[in-house]
Amino acid sequence: MHHFKGILFCALCLLTACTTLPEMDDENAVYYWRTEWRLDSLERNWVAQYDIHKVYCRYFDVVVDGADSNEPHPNATIMFIDTVPSGLEIIPTVYITEACMHQPHEGMAEKLVKRIVQMNETHDVGGVKEIQIDCDYTLRSRRTYYDFLEEVRREAAHHQLRLSTTIRLHQLSMPAPPVDYGVLMIYNTGDPQKFEERNPILDLRDVQPYLRYLDDYPLPLAAAYPFYKWLRTISGVHITHEVEADEILRVKSAVEGERDDLRHTILLYHLDANNIQRYENKTFDAIYRH
Amino acid sequence: MLACYQSLFACAWVETHNYYLFHVYDSEGFSSRVNRISLDNWRAYLGTTEDYYYFDANEMKEFARKKGDDLMVNYVNNLERYMKCASEVRAESWDYPTKNDVAQRNRVLNSILQYAQGKLTSRLRSQHGLLVMRCNMLLGKHSDNITFWEQTGSKYIESVYKEMMQNIYAGALYKTGQNNRAAQLFAEQGDWESLMTQFYLKRSYAAIREEYLRDPNSAVLPFLVQDFVNNTQEAVDEDGYGKLFVRDISTREAEQMVQFAGQVVKEGKTKTPALWMTARAWIEYLLGNPVQAVAHIDEAVKLDGTDWMKNCARVIRLYIRSAQYQVSSQFDTYLGTELAWMQQMSEQTHEAFYENALDRIVHQQLADKYAKAGRIETSMALLAATHAYEYENALDTLEVHSLLSYIDYFNNPSANALDRYLKPRITFDSVNMDDLIGTKYLRLCQWDEAIQWLKKVPMTYYNSRGYAIFAARRKPDVEPWIKRQWLPLGAEYEYGEQHMTANPKITFATDMRDREAQLAKLKGKEYQQACYDLAVRYAQASFTGDCWFLMRNGKSELDEVRANETDLNAKAVDLLRRASQTSDVQLKERALFALSYVYLNPDRWYESEWNRTTSKFSTIPQPNTRQYNAFATLVAFEQTNNKGVSTYVSRCDEYIQFCKYYKP
Repeated sequence: MHHFKGILFCALCLLTACTTLPEMDDENAVYYWRTEWRLDSLERNWVAQYDIHKVYCRYFDVVVDGADSNEPHPNATIMFIDTVPSGLEIIPTVYITEACMHQPHEGMAEKLVKRIVQMNETHDVGGVKEIQIDCDYTLRSRRTYYDFLEEVRREAAHHQLRLSTTIRLHQLSMPAPPVDYGVLMIYNTGDPQKFEERNPILDLRDVQPYLRYLDDYPLPLAAAYPFYKWLRTISGVHITHEVEADEILRVKSAVEGERDDLRHTILLYHLDANNIQRYENKTFDAIYRH
Repeated sequence: MLACYQSLFACAWVETHNYYLFHVYDSEGFSSRVNRISLDNWRAYLGTTEDYYYFDANEMKEFARKKGDDLMVNYVNNLERYMKCASEVRAESWDYPTKNDVAQRNRVLNSILQYAQGKLTSRLRSQHGLLVMRCNMLLGKHSDNITFWEQTGSKYIESVYKEMMQNIYAGALYKTGQNNRAAQLFAEQGDWESLMTQFYLKRSYAAIREEYLRDPNSAVLPFLVQDFVNNTQEAVDEDGYGKLFVRDISTREAEQMVQFAGQVVKEGKTKTPALWMTARAWIEYLLGNPVQAVAHIDEAVKLDGTDWMKNCARVIRLYIRSAQYQVSSQFDTYLGTELAWMQQMSEQTHEAFYENALDRIVHQQLADKYAKAGRIETSMALLAATHAYEYENALDTLEVHSLLSYIDYFNNPSANALDRYLKPRITFDSVNMDDLIGTKYLRLCQWDEAIQWLKKVPMTYYNSRGYAIFAARRKPDVEPWIKRQWLPLGAEYEYGEQHMTANPKITFATDMRDREAQLAKLKGKEYQQACYDLAVRYAQASFTGDCWFLMRNGKSELDEVRANETDLNAKAVDLLRRASQTSDVQLKERALFALSYVYLNPDRWYESEWNRTTSKFSTIPQPNTRQYNAFATLVAFEQTNNKGVSTYVSRCDEYIQFCKYYKP
């Protein structure tokens, strides 16, 4: 019996080793995480300068407020003030709070996809080929979330849309979600409570423990790096966090060293004139180097 | 033994005294101001005097119809249609509007727009002009709004509608990338919310410098400077009472700002040097450079600026001087003048700033300063002027002779400007004062003096106190370690007037006086019994006893023995020890049992530790505690008690527990 188990184990290893994940394309992309769609000239130029053709645009959040019911509902929907420049592919992205996934919600996947499709149609957002769901799922919510993703994927397929999801570092130790690919969020890595010791946005020391999961993670992955400023309140005082350019590049080098295909599709979080002005061109050149 | 702790009035109320002192423009922002004026206009149209009026379109149309005011009826109809569209735009539901829905909404907006454009020469032209701009805003026609304002709206007579039009115009400028012009208008209008949206991430010394270099008299500068200075305060204080929109300011950045503010004043390009010099002085003070702060704030008050800026400089000068100057008659005169001025400004402007500034200056500087200088009366009067809860606390714990001096101070003619300011702000209720003084003597166990004051207080006073229900139902002669005097469930929340016929404090004081006088004459068992009886009463009257109302107005689990009062539990312990020397077995048992009572011991006989393995609390005996030793003495006594252990001891849960763990 023990012998049989050993054979099965070896067979599984071989199977895993032989499975080739689809290659990600060499692409530069960026998240858009504001409540109004409007690009100023600096942002348009920057997008053009770095050959960015994909924008993962937050369309709305899904939240449960719990006051009257536990039914999830959309929140903070983006307003389309501007048109989408030609040549830019929008990937509608929906952030779902983890609380929404504490229990299944019948019909939510259908409503979500329908809303995205309607938003595209209403605002003439053409050429949409994919949607992305962002959720900080945990051990508690993972199963519900994955079931939900299955449903979203089926619904999205009716509209010829692919599905991706965000993967946080701590989620790498869980089974992979049922999506076409994942975007590895290489930010918000630190413990926000220990902000005096480590930068909570990004610190290689916080990334390192997760590097061992990368090579075997059974899902094509893109990599998303931060270039935002984080303002938050601690004891009534707002604290500002920013990441040094060198730290981003150190982390990029470390993750690509572990998993080579992370150099293909590269995203930055998130598009904003202030963020663009925060770093030098050479930093963006280095981050978007494939 | 009943170890449960009754907790009433246990809320710990803490309020900040750390109000911002750097305040250079009206607190009322644009949106609340225009909303208030608009409602006033509707109210005036209706001729109503209701204080709380909310716009009701149907009511308005009905009223206008009766007046035969068709123009108003149509205007309100269209306003209502516009508001419906606006709420649809803001709505969040799973059903996202289709192109047709949006087109339909836009058709409605366009029809309102068309209607409103046709009324731009009517009696209600300003309202219709606003409607035009509102529709354009929702339709995203920001350029149209810019044109409309510049060619039409800006020429209308001054009104709240024109102000709102201008605000939409500023928004249109912002949305079309004309940020500087938009910011100037937002600032001029006092639209701090919009300015904050625009500058949220840019607020810094660098942004101030950039804006100054662009225009040394930019209307945005007071907003940015105020935000910076108050953020510096937050960063310095970190008191846990932070306000919205605060950002961290490093010492280096604050020092750069100090230098820059000095440079701005020196350059002479600003029309409001008072703003910059005050900012400089206040940051210097916050950074711990009071000497420079004094010099610069003295300079600031002489410089030009808006009324707000000059007044702010004057208030900050008062704070800094209050911190730095010694108490003297000269300072009294200065302080009296300044406080009177602040009072006058508060009444004139209805701005909370002046009251808040007074609160901060008194609580952070003056009350303590005057108390340390031996001027308790002035310190108390200053606290009284702030109406803060600390005043009541201070009054309650003040040494009785100081309270009498304070009352004298209040009753004597004012000696200087400070007294003339302070005395009208003190309110004394003589009955309340008589009770307080009498109670203070009670706390000192000076029974005769207590009775002298308490007998002036009518019974109606006691029957209407919050504690009256306790006073009416509890007796100080009940042994608290044997029987607790719980009130029926919920009774403590029935604050109805009681019908006591005897003043419980006088009854208590008289009884204690007589018993203590008698004690000296007694010997042997009678003496020991009298000691025990007195101990019962002291324990009951202490803050842990059931009759706490004899000494205090309320009870909280945060209570402790305070300054200027006798530790009644300590007296009870002393008397119980004397009583326990008796050869009367029953009295000895009662006295020893009482000595192990939880509230007569500073520490428990055991500590509880959470055991992670068993998921239960473990009891760890503490043989060095007084309660442990008291229980040990009681156990030893009971082992030799040939009359048998009394049931109040044998059934006491604490005693049973102790016996389980006690190893002689």
